[in-house]
Amino acid sequence: MELTPRQFDRELTLKELLAGLPAGKLQQILEAMFGCGFRLTTAGGQVVAGSAEPGTATTHSPIRYELESIGNLETASADPEKIKAAVLLIELLLHSAARYYMASALHIEAIDADYEALQKKHAALVISETRYRELAASLELRVQQQVAVIETAQRQLYQTEKMVSVGQLAAGVAHEINNPVGFIKSNLNTAKKYVQQFAQLAVLVNSSPDSAIAKGWRQADLDFVIQDFSDLLGESIAGTERVARIVADLKDFSNIDHTEIQVVNINDNIRSVCNMATHELSKTADLLFDLGELPKQKCHPGRINQALLNVLLNAAQAMPERGQIKIRSEYRDGLTSVQISDNGHGMAESTLARVFDPFFTTREVGKGTGLGLTVARDIVTAHDGDILIQSEPGKGTTVTIHLPVGWQCLIRE
Amino acid sequence: MADYNEESNRLTIKIVYYGPALSGKTTNIMRLHDLIAPQLKGEIMTLETQNDRTLFFDLLPLAFTASTGLLIKFKLFTVPGQVAHDGTRKAVLSRADGVVFVADSQRSQSVNNGESFDNLAENVHRVGLDLDRLPLVVQFNKRDQTNILSEAEISQRWSAASWPIVFASALHGDGVVDTFSQLLAQVHRNLDTEFQLVSKHGIEQRSFVESACATIG
Repeated sequence: MELTPRQFDRELTLKELLAGLPAGKLQQILEAMFGCGFRLTTAGGQVVAGSAEPGTATTHSPIRYELESIGNLETASADPEKIKAAVLLIELLLHSAARYYMASALHIEAIDADYEALQKKHAALVISETRYRELAASLELRVQQQVAVIETAQRQLYQTEKMVSVGQLAAGVAHEINNPVGFIKSNLNTAKKYVQQFAQLAVLVNSSPDSAIAKGWRQADLDFVIQDFSDLLGESIAGTERVARIVADLKDFSNIDHTEIQVVNINDNIRSVCNMATHELSKTADLLFDLGELPKQKCHPGRINQALLNVLLNAAQAMPERGQIKIRSEYRDGLTSVQISDNGHGMAESTLARVFDPFFTTREVGKGTGLGLTVARDIVTAHDGDILIQSEPGKGTTVTIHLPVGWQCLIRE
Repeated sequence: MADYNEESNRLTIKIVYYGPALSGKTTNIMRLHDLIAPQLKGEIMTLETQNDRTLFFDLLPLAFTASTGLLIKFKLFTVPGQVAHDGTRKAVLSRADGVVFVADSQRSQSVNNGESFDNLAENVHRVGLDLDRLPLVVQFNKRDQTNILSEAEISQRWSAASWPIVFASALHGDGVVDTFSQLLAQVHRNLDTEFQLVSKHGIEQRSFVESACATIG
């Protein structure tokens, strides 16, 4: 039930005041007093009690309430004392009705105001609760963002530490191998000259084929030996050159510990990484290069190498049988793009959706950290670039890395 | 908000006596009823508890008719002073055209006066009135008591306030009519702006106050 507040202090009408009184009883009392008919009318002439019809020889006596006449008592009675008493009685009743009416109306008004205040309080509470919820939600979001930042930092730190230790190791090994490789190569070259000197003897020996030395020469098959010796040495020299190149690439690659920014041509990074990982890559795939003209650009070469290596290793490991890895690079509209496509087993959409998640891996336990692409993305993002992956199960995967050429590092290392 | 009823040619003005419990609000209107004789004076309607404390309100109706025939009717209400009845107090205060704040002069009542005045300020705001525009007289009652604050102390404490201060002893009738007439002078100023009492009805401030506060004899 709804209570409409009525102002307790408003002007009350005769009708309203009589509403709380048993009309029948008032009529009974007044009729008994007068011994004849009467009627009670409002100031507007409306009958509110007594007979509906005006009687004859009627006297009109005003009924007053709160200093004002609010109605009339009309009666055929000629007894002024009785009329006076009746008016007094009615006024007394009205006064008492008014007290009750005002008290209850005031009560309702007060309760209503309190209720309204409660509702306002409630509304305010709801608002503050909503605000609190929003705050909590945004707090959650901010915590998540902070966690993401920390995780990224941790991953980079982990990666950097790993890279630094690998780099230091590689640099150390490269340095240690460089010396022996150097003198082996030099010695082999000298040996090759010596063999050539021996080879010159062959003409002399074979000029007198019946000589004992010539017989011994043929018995020992020295013609073949000298030829083969020379070939062996040639191959060995080529071998040392390969070792030297690997060592140089390794040194190049192990520049990881130099986190400073350098101006490079990304194609050089691609080549260096492919040389470095050639063993890993060529086990499962042939590398096809389509490197376009690139301008020089600022970057952290060590980190870019890391990103490229991670993508390349993924491509190599995606081959169910020997396949192909195509590496394209091009420059357009201020962006260097590197596209690494393989024709491996590709990925389902559910896998594709999670490839960048840290520690998500499709490999067996212990085979992959699940950080390769995560780190690659972090590195590319740190260069204000982006990394996109398209894949189709059974067809292969293409990873595209975009790097803005005008990148300026704003973060102090 | 004074209520002008064109049909009955009546302007009803609401005055509220506010203040802490037992400061003499009911006594004020009782004595006023005895002391003044405007053209029309009604009976006091009291709604009190059994131990003589106002539960809802007391009401004293007074009225006079202006030369133009306009009936000026005053309804003087008291609020229940007890802290617990704040809801009722607020409802009685609503629509007030003027307020008499009845303070208790006894030293022991200073805190109660302060709290009650703060409560008045708060409730005035809550019922949508503006304390800066609301006609208000502060009456320091019970000057007949011992251990009361001196007039100098009170004046000094209230020096920053803009409202007139009247010293009264309602029990003996002192200052009761003065309080009422000082309030009516302010009420007239507001009502004249709203209802053109002077230009339309020829009711000047002085005759307004005197008609309402006409003393017996």
